[in-house]
Amino acid sequence: MVVPIGDYVALAAVIFFIGVFGVIVRRNPLIMLMSIELMLNAGNLLLVAFARLWLQNAGQIFAFIVITVAAAEAAIGLAIIVTTFRPERFVDVDDVRSLHG
Amino acid sequence: MIVLATILLPLVAGALLFALPRQDRVLSRAIGVVVATITLVTVIAAGTTSEWSFRWLSRPFDAAFHFGATPTSFWIALLLTVATACAIAASREARLRDFVAQLLLLEGAMLGLFLARDLLLFALFWDLMLLPVFFVLIGWGEHPATAWRYFIYNFAGGLTLLLATAAFGVIYGSTDVIGRAAGPLVGAWAPWIYAGFAFAFLVKTPVWPLHTWMPPTYSGLPAPMVAVVSAVQSKAGLYGFLVIALTLLPHEVHAYALALMVLGAVSLIYGAVIALTQNDAKRIVAYSSLSHLGLIAIAVGSGNPIALRGALVYIVAHGLFSAALFLVLGYVEEREATRLLARLGGLGWKNPKLAGALCIAALAALGLPGLAGFAGELLILIGVYQAGYVWPVIVALIAIVVASAYFLRLYQDAMNGPEVPDVPVRGDLTWPEALAVAPLLAALVVVGVYPAPLLHP
Amino acid sequence: MSHSLGVTGTYPLVLTLWLLPLLGAIICWAFGPQLRTMSGWLASALVGISFVLAVASWSDATQGAGGTLGAHQPLASWLPGFDFGLLLDPLSLIWTFIITGVGFLIVFYSIGYMDGDRAFARFFAYMSFFVFAMLTLVLSDNFIGLLVGWGLVGLASYFLIGFWFERQSAVAAARKAFVINVVGDVGMMFAIFLIVANVHSINFGAVFAAAPALSAGVLFAICVTLFIGAAAKSAQIPLHTWLPDAMEGPTPVSALIHAATMVTAGVYLVARCAPLWDHSHGAQLLVGGIGAATALVGAILGTAQWDIKRILAYSTMSQIGYMIMGVGVGAYEGGIAHFFAHAFFKAQLFLGAGLIIHALADEQDIRAMGGLRRRMPFAFWVMLTAVLSICGVPGFSGFFSKDAVIYGALQHGHPWVYATDIVTAGITAYYMFRLLFVAFLGEYRGEAAQAHAAAEPAHRPHAPAWIMNAPVAVLIAPSVAIGAVLMFGGENSPWQRFFAPLFGATSSRAIALPPVSEGVTTLLVFITVIIGFAIAWQRYATRSAQADAVARLRRESERMPALLTNLLYFDWLIERLFVRPAQQLGALFGRVLDPHVFDGAVRDLVYWARWLGTLVRSFQTGLVRAYALILVAGAACFIVYYAVAAGVR
Repeated sequence: MVVPIGDYVALAAVIFFIGVFGVIVRRNPLIMLMSIELMLNAGNLLLVAFARLWLQNAGQIFAFIVITVAAAEAAIGLAIIVTTFRPERFVDVDDVRSLHG
Repeated sequence: MIVLATILLPLVAGALLFALPRQDRVLSRAIGVVVATITLVTVIAAGTTSEWSFRWLSRPFDAAFHFGATPTSFWIALLLTVATACAIAASREARLRDFVAQLLLLEGAMLGLFLARDLLLFALFWDLMLLPVFFVLIGWGEHPATAWRYFIYNFAGGLTLLLATAAFGVIYGSTDVIGRAAGPLVGAWAPWIYAGFAFAFLVKTPVWPLHTWMPPTYSGLPAPMVAVVSAVQSKAGLYGFLVIALTLLPHEVHAYALALMVLGAVSLIYGAVIALTQNDAKRIVAYSSLSHLGLIAIAVGSGNPIALRGALVYIVAHGLFSAALFLVLGYVEEREATRLLARLGGLGWKNPKLAGALCIAALAALGLPGLAGFAGELLILIGVYQAGYVWPVIVALIAIVVASAYFLRLYQDAMNGPEVPDVPVRGDLTWPEALAVAPLLAALVVVGVYPAPLLHP
Repeated sequence: MSHSLGVTGTYPLVLTLWLLPLLGAIICWAFGPQLRTMSGWLASALVGISFVLAVASWSDATQGAGGTLGAHQPLASWLPGFDFGLLLDPLSLIWTFIITGVGFLIVFYSIGYMDGDRAFARFFAYMSFFVFAMLTLVLSDNFIGLLVGWGLVGLASYFLIGFWFERQSAVAAARKAFVINVVGDVGMMFAIFLIVANVHSINFGAVFAAAPALSAGVLFAICVTLFIGAAAKSAQIPLHTWLPDAMEGPTPVSALIHAATMVTAGVYLVARCAPLWDHSHGAQLLVGGIGAATALVGAILGTAQWDIKRILAYSTMSQIGYMIMGVGVGAYEGGIAHFFAHAFFKAQLFLGAGLIIHALADEQDIRAMGGLRRRMPFAFWVMLTAVLSICGVPGFSGFFSKDAVIYGALQHGHPWVYATDIVTAGITAYYMFRLLFVAFLGEYRGEAAQAHAAAEPAHRPHAPAWIMNAPVAVLIAPSVAIGAVLMFGGENSPWQRFFAPLFGATSSRAIALPPVSEGVTTLLVFITVIIGFAIAWQRYATRSAQADAVARLRRESERMPALLTNLLYFDWLIERLFVRPAQQLGALFGRVLDPHVFDGAVRDLVYWARWLGTLVRSFQTGLVRAYALILVAGAACFIVYYAVAAGVR
């Protein structure tokens, strides 16, 4: 059975907006990082789905690149979170404002 | 190849000098003098025939690491090496090793600038030569704000120069054009490119009203550094006008000649009148520099061949006498711990050598016939008059009268009159100190009596 | 009309006589401490040798004729058309004689006068340098060389006026002299620009050959700008104010530079450029007029001075006015003759004054002198003969030369100048005899001599008196007799015949038929001189005048008109018109315009850049979720925009 492309797009949109919602609403940096992952993977889903649809492999390859970037980003993001929040036990991004102008 | 060695030698030597132990003052000065002297020899050996070229870019335009002296830049390079050797020999600053290293780096950067035959290279060395001065202003100067003012002002000029160079390269196809009989650039972009060049050159020279970085920089820099900067670095802009703008953008230079001459004339009289009332000896020489270089701007604007030859003589002459003036004033400041004319006085009786050196330099600067300044001044004005411009000549002549007044004031207030009780007169020049300025003074006399070699390239 | 380029060739004598004084200057300057008193002997010996060589070059200088008169020695070339060389023709020969001959006597005299000065060798270095510079001036064969010499003599004069540079007054006088002379140099430079632009050459020969073809306006402009140089150097009004102040220098300097040679450079210039002046009637009128006015003003100011050297300075100014007037109107032989005679008698006056000043421990005020005739009979006779000569008493040198000048003015059609000159002659007699009577007659009024006599012998041995007396004695002969020997006989005098190849016969150039004969002129001059003498006698030399001299002199100084004590307000005007405005402008530019307007504009730029930075910085809250919200909002805007755009399409 062939899943119509509209379903993929709808699913990706739902996932993406869950991610957006998570980044904006939650204050826990770990959750925010995971929400970013959600958005990235929504994009990945679309890339792969359309690659299948048009039988072009470029989209799949690009999905791999995005996965790699996401992994790197997660690593750096976690590192920043760990170093920033280690002295304080409470985890809240609104408390970290040392980069304000 | 020799020309490449000429540029690399001071750069490498300057960098290596940091490997020396910090407290080795005499050794570092000796190395500096030796390196500068060898550079002087290699400049002469390279002459105008030695060239070195290495392809660098072919897109978006041709560019090359292309070095070699033009007839104009040969004399400026000679002036630079002489001035640097004298300046290093005269250096008595704190942290001498680092200071000498900065002087050598400055020499290398400026040699690169004047010997570059590629416009892009010229623009790169333009920015590079700001750095040693900036570091010295930060490390040895009186106020860090001066350093930033110098840097940002001149770097802004460097930026317009770089933009103009890029535009030039894209339109013209190559930047390997200095000192080569390449045709002029024409087109709608030419005025904008000229504007970019001109802004950089006018800031560097400097010309009124872009000069306000200059008095604090000149009075803030230690004497040996300011000797080199005012002698040679200030000539970079004029060299740009003479060698780059006049050959590659002649129509634009001609079209805006009047503006250039007006700026030059205003600088001429403005600097002279301010120098008349300043109290700080170094500032007097700084404003006199503004005044004198305005004359060369007038010469460029007139475009007359005699005036342009005179401009080269005057570039060399001004380099020699401003270096000598700053070095001698450095000696005075080192001895008396002040350079305010109101506090100085009566040094001449006990310091005849110091007074004599200041006297010769000041006389050359005020254009005494028979010394270098006069030959350049006279040729420039003859040419400008011949080109049909009378008013700049009259302005220049008035400025000459004012110059005689302020330079005599500088000399007499420091050296003549009764001794000032609260500033005790200390010893005369030692032989090493005297020898450091002697080549400059000797060159002033030689160029003044016989400037013909500079006139027959 | 001929103008000389000279017979080109190699003239080792000319080269040597030019360079010897430079050698002397360099040796005295470099080895002064080692040479000590030898430096004076060396310097005078070298100048003396130069004089001998000048005499030996006589035949070279007078060889040839017409367009190639004299000796021309090429030197070097700057640019095509800018060739340098030396030219010794009759005109420069006369100047060379005075520069080296009188120069030798004065330098020799200085050995005695400067004895014991702590910068003895330096003095002789400067004097030798001056002789070299002055020779450069008169020997150049082109305008730039002339200008180089012009500037260098100004420098030598600056050094020597400010020789005692611990004295503030000397320093100020030196600066003033230099700056005013630069005004002159600048004028000459402008003349050179005009010449190069119109003739494309700087050589005298080429320029003079082209002179008839130049337009009247250009020629007049060249003459006027050249004359600015001449006026500054030769102390013509209104550029004369430096000369009286220049008396701050040692007296031999005043004798050599500010009386005999340098200040007559303007006369040389005008005579040298005779072909230019001959073709410009306007220039003749101007220069003749300024010369006559200077003669009168100098004489008037001379009557109001008390300082012996200042009296002589104003008389120098006045006499140079005569010379300038003479060469200006075209009576070249007369003007040069007056220069020639003046060099002797004025040097003699200054050296005589030097004898007095030296003996009275630097007292220069004639009110503090008096009765010196008995104390210093030699000085008295020196001064007396020189005064008779300068006043133009018949038979003395000054008589011949001054008559030639005054009558020349009439011959060339300038009756007003002629009349002014005759009046000036009377005033000259008045102030010169005033000087003589006040200083030498009556009773001694000063304190200095006793103090001097008491302090002196114990201190240091004086140089022998003959060193100072001999040169003065030598000068008496020419200042009395040279006129009778050379200038007697009108057209056929040796003097006229000497210059005939250079300027042409006088009679051919005289343009007016004088209404008054030369004999009547002589008589008129003599009468005014007698009147001037009589007034001076009445006021200072009668028995009653001498009896209460102290009171009378004090009264006279107190009642001196303000116009005269302020020197006719020339200094005041220059100060108000030029010096102060320049300083105020400098203060305005330096303290207001530069830091606040031009740098202020730059700082405004910095201010606005900073303001913009502050504005942008306020978006940077540091709140991560705010950034995310903005990001999303931005993305939403894009989406809405494209969705609407798609919907519209």
